[in-house]
Amino acid sequence: MSYAYLFKYIIIGDTGVGKSCLLLQFTDKRFQPVHDLTIGVEFGARMITIDNKPIKLQIWDTAGQESFRSITRSYYRGAAGALLVYDITRRETFNHLASWLEDARQHANANMTIMLIGNKCDLAHRRAVSTEEGEQFAKEHGLIFMEASAKTAQNVEEAFISTAATIYKKIQDGVFDVSNESYGIKVGYGGIPGPSGGRDGSSSQAGGCCT
Amino acid sequence: MHEPEFNDLSDDSDYAASQQQGLGGSVFGGDPGMTSGFNEHEASEVVYSKDNVTIHPTQYGSERISGRLRLVKQGESVFMTWVPYKPYPDGPDHLGQSSNSGLSEKDRNLYTIAPVPLSEVCSIRRHTPTLSWPYMIVILSSGLAFPPLYFYSGGLREFLATLKQHVHVVRSADDANVFLVNNFQDPLQRSLSSLALPMALSVANGAPSENLSSSVPLFENSERLNGTKYYTSPNISEYSGRRKHKSHDPARDLSLQVLEKFSLVTKFARETTSHIFRENQGNSFDASEKKQQKQSPALTPTISKPSEEQSHSNDAVVEPDPLELDKSSLVWGKPRQPPMNFEEWAAFLDSEGRIMDSKILRKRIFYGGVEFSLRKEVWKFLLGYHTYESTDAEREYLASVKKSEYEIIKSQWQSISPAQAKRFTKFRERKGLIEKDVVRTDRSISYFDGDDNPNVALLHDILLTYSFYNFDLGYCQGMSDLLSPILFVMEDESEAFWCFVALMERLGPNFNRDQNGMHSQLFALSKLVELLDAPLHNYLKQADCLNYFFCFRWILIQFKREFEYERIMRLWEVLWTHYLSEHFHLYICVAILKKYRNKIMGEQMDFDTLLKFINELSGKIDLDRIIKDAEALCICAGEHGAACIPPGTPPSLPIESDSGLYSQPDDL
Repeated sequence: MSYAYLFKYIIIGDTGVGKSCLLLQFTDKRFQPVHDLTIGVEFGARMITIDNKPIKLQIWDTAGQESFRSITRSYYRGAAGALLVYDITRRETFNHLASWLEDARQHANANMTIMLIGNKCDLAHRRAVSTEEGEQFAKEHGLIFMEASAKTAQNVEEAFISTAATIYKKIQDGVFDVSNESYGIKVGYGGIPGPSGGRDGSSSQAGGCCT
Repeated sequence: MHEPEFNDLSDDSDYAASQQQGLGGSVFGGDPGMTSGFNEHEASEVVYSKDNVTIHPTQYGSERISGRLRLVKQGESVFMTWVPYKPYPDGPDHLGQSSNSGLSEKDRNLYTIAPVPLSEVCSIRRHTPTLSWPYMIVILSSGLAFPPLYFYSGGLREFLATLKQHVHVVRSADDANVFLVNNFQDPLQRSLSSLALPMALSVANGAPSENLSSSVPLFENSERLNGTKYYTSPNISEYSGRRKHKSHDPARDLSLQVLEKFSLVTKFARETTSHIFRENQGNSFDASEKKQQKQSPALTPTISKPSEEQSHSNDAVVEPDPLELDKSSLVWGKPRQPPMNFEEWAAFLDSEGRIMDSKILRKRIFYGGVEFSLRKEVWKFLLGYHTYESTDAEREYLASVKKSEYEIIKSQWQSISPAQAKRFTKFRERKGLIEKDVVRTDRSISYFDGDDNPNVALLHDILLTYSFYNFDLGYCQGMSDLLSPILFVMEDESEAFWCFVALMERLGPNFNRDQNGMHSQLFALSKLVELLDAPLHNYLKQADCLNYFFCFRWILIQFKREFEYERIMRLWEVLWTHYLSEHFHLYICVAILKKYRNKIMGEQMDFDTLLKFINELSGKIDLDRIIKDAEALCICAGEHGAACIPPGTPPSLPIESDSGLYSQPDDL
């Protein structure tokens, strides 16, 4: 399928916070409570449209357990966006956010867009982390923030798409050199690539030329 | 490596399997396209002929097939052919088909060697056992080997002498009984540099003296120069010229069926092949490369190292697999056997239930696995929970002792009160993790599906008990994947636990917090690929993929996610035999990578693409095929392969130390 851009995403966070379920809800629009735990990494992909341009999201869903951190770190390379997920019903998954963020900052490129997601907001009666705390953490660390539910699909679409919109805007603003794939962006062959509202308006096809 | 003194065919069921396949015609006969340019209507001269040259398809004397071996010259080419005698019409074959020879004429003809040009011969191994007939094994440059040919009436020496008159023959520097035919490269080059003999130099210059071959007797007892000798043909240039005219390679024309047939070559022959291949290795396994070199009359030292420039200078061209003998696969892995059944199993046990020959048992399981109903019993041996020497009674006793031992360990965590748990973070975390994971383990298998499935609860209890039994290691994701089939097979909590314990004795380091067990295996894997597929290694190096993280899941949980449930049980029992190598799983990795090497390199996959590609192979790998390929690779790599794997690399048993096996700071 043709796309104007391909963005690489990575989903990180403690084990059992619902990373794989968020991915499945986003790519397949379904909630599957019974699925195998993730070993290493799993992949998902979906096309979205931003500014009338087809954009393909290639999403890496990682294993959450601490022991696998050294492997997980190798997956950050070349990610344009990250979804950092915690479980609002388990305090410790929120407490670990700082260490996840540190990993991301250290191993991903500096311009990676990070979206903080407080998952399982359908379980409000078991809430252990308030919305305000999530907002506060995001604000302190310069992240976008949403509470979502992979089960009810609430905010799932929005989380992935607004992350993409932010990345897209960065491209428009010239933050990325899209010909350099280490930013996690590939220019596709099918859409109208390049910064349409940008500097000189001339779009470079297939990333063949750098600005 | 020790060399079998005689050709042991007794447990080579490939033959039996081949007999049942009922292929018509002979291996090389039937199809005129396979006769490699030999034209039976053209004039030809028999330069060597020997009667009573015999093939031993089985260990039964009645099933030996005698025939006539000949070297036939036609034009400039010399062909080797062996044709079995027709059974006497009134002979025992005819009279007592059921009681005597089980070989039909069709079977006998199966082994016919239709004229094969000597230019296709790679090497010949001569064996002269003191108490038996001399025999030889002929190996073609395609890697195929003919079954051993026994010279009942002598004539092996004469055969080699005749051969020498028509093609270039060099005695291997490493083994005086191996004669490299048409080999102008490695051994000769090696000899040139190390010995700098004028004689050899003249050979290398392509202008050997006419008298040379006669001045060096082919067989003499007093070997000099470390047993190295050169036997040269006076007509190398002529040979080279002839070689050039050949536009097609008959060995490549052999159908897969025929190749399969030839995997019924005895284990011994295969070992010889691999031995010789090792000798020739010097990064020049590649048959086509070899041929190019053969065609070069100058015989310049062109031992080409698969150069790095080559691998990234050209996008479209993929360097050929140095081990690929045939386009479709590595062909010398044995055909897989049906799983071992109860009768076979019972035959391994003595009257008190001891396993009489564990090596043969492991070999049997390696080649076919075991029937499902036997797994419960057999896995306990393979995993090391039971020793092969134990009796039925001892095992029964052990089971009861171990059951109470298990209950004691289990009671340790069961007795933790809520109040105590509140002050025991590590316990709570572990328990929470396990609870989360067991409900995400193989729930699509009926044994574990549905709400409140008691077997899921058993997974939980066993894993939590294990995390108390081995508190230093604790629990790590992936363990539930390893336990699931074990519990499924054992159907008993305590037995499953102890089998899991035994497995973790070997695989525990996979789950170390610092991942050292994984890193050492990934490192060994990279070394094996470097040995067995240098171009692929070079590619992965320049693509910055040498950490082999894309094989992480394969190794962590022994391919559990790559095959369906029944298949994974089969693979595991094969791996657990440790028959060819304790690290056979690494050869499985290499075999899979080699299967897709052209795609990986041709599409110039980067780390991300490769990782995704490997991940998506899940469920698409043909297990039997990959085991066969891995077997061939393992045999081929031999000691060089073993040398790639540092001591202590899992699943080797770890070297014990006082500080404990898994002591690691701050683990869950």
